[in-house]
Amino acid sequence: MKPTNTDPKRWQVVPAAVALAGIIVFIFATYGPPASSSGFVTTLKGFFLEVAPKYAETNPHYSALPGPGSWLMGFVIGMAAGGFAAGITGGRKVRDVPEIWVRRFGKSRIKRYATTFAGGFLILFGARLAGGCTLGLFMSGSIQMALSGLLFGAVIFATAMLSARIVYGKTNGRKQ
Amino acid sequence: MTDVLLGILSGAAFGFVIQRVGATDPEEMALGHLMQDPRIPQFMLLAVLFSAIGLFSLQAAGGGNTLILPLTFGAILVGGVLFGIGWGMAGYCPGTCWAAVGEGRMDAVFALIGGLAGTAAFAHLHAWLIPAIHAPTNVGQLTLADLFGKPLVGLIVEAIFLLAAVWLIGKLWRHSESGAM
Repeated sequence: MKPTNTDPKRWQVVPAAVALAGIIVFIFATYGPPASSSGFVTTLKGFFLEVAPKYAETNPHYSALPGPGSWLMGFVIGMAAGGFAAGITGGRKVRDVPEIWVRRFGKSRIKRYATTFAGGFLILFGARLAGGCTLGLFMSGSIQMALSGLLFGAVIFATAMLSARIVYGKTNGRKQ
Repeated sequence: MTDVLLGILSGAAFGFVIQRVGATDPEEMALGHLMQDPRIPQFMLLAVLFSAIGLFSLQAAGGGNTLILPLTFGAILVGGVLFGIGWGMAGYCPGTCWAAVGEGRMDAVFALIGGLAGTAAFAHLHAWLIPAIHAPTNVGQLTLADLFGKPLVGLIVEAIFLLAAVWLIGKLWRHSESGAM
């Protein structure tokens, strides 16, 4: 029916969750709760410290978080490096436009890129308002039994399920 | 400097695992949202469960640095809805898009640039959005441990809740033919 789990290098859910949990507990032991949307802030802070240092120093959002040379910045750079290493050793072809998207909207790259740009804008705007993202608020929070993280998780899953339904329409991503 | 190296090491391991399970693939993320494949949502919930048990043990041994974010209804509801709309559209979240860029996905590059724009927009509006939405509905850094009085009771309640969610997703979501856990 669909090719998602036929890749022999694809990890099964339980062992992958154990591996990720090991990494997360290591992070709690050596740093603190892991977060990725904060990495966007530290990246931008680095940019503004170069081009508009006064703005970076006085803006309350940038001054609340560390800039480049921090764990947070290292973490997102490491994420990209880990994705790269897994990608080149994974032997799986990467698509710029997912198949499920092509079935619904055709092959246009412009449409897909415009949508991921808008989606990227919304996830970071929303995450910065709520206090964190999937990892920094939902996962890190729930791991510490925080009600904020549990509530955020319920809201983002419910809304994303609805949003994906509207985007992919009646076919629900299924092959015709 | 140790901090940066620890961050890079932790991020690289994290990025590797989420690529291998398929979470950096927006197709698999969308299939999870559309109830067509239970793998990614189950992976996320089980990772939370195992980490919660791990952190609990770490704290019992006297380790672990924690930071509880406050329960602030307005910001979490409004932020969560905006986040959910974007997540459903793109199939990326802030962490997975970095790893997907490393993997070489061009649509993730645009998600990342959009994310930088969204961060800049929020940071610019921080000075009036935080007092308007975040601060007035902030009820504090509450946890299940506070709610139930004992951390272990909180952990057991959370474990039951997470396992029930994993079971329900397994029941309600369609399975691919090889979609066993």
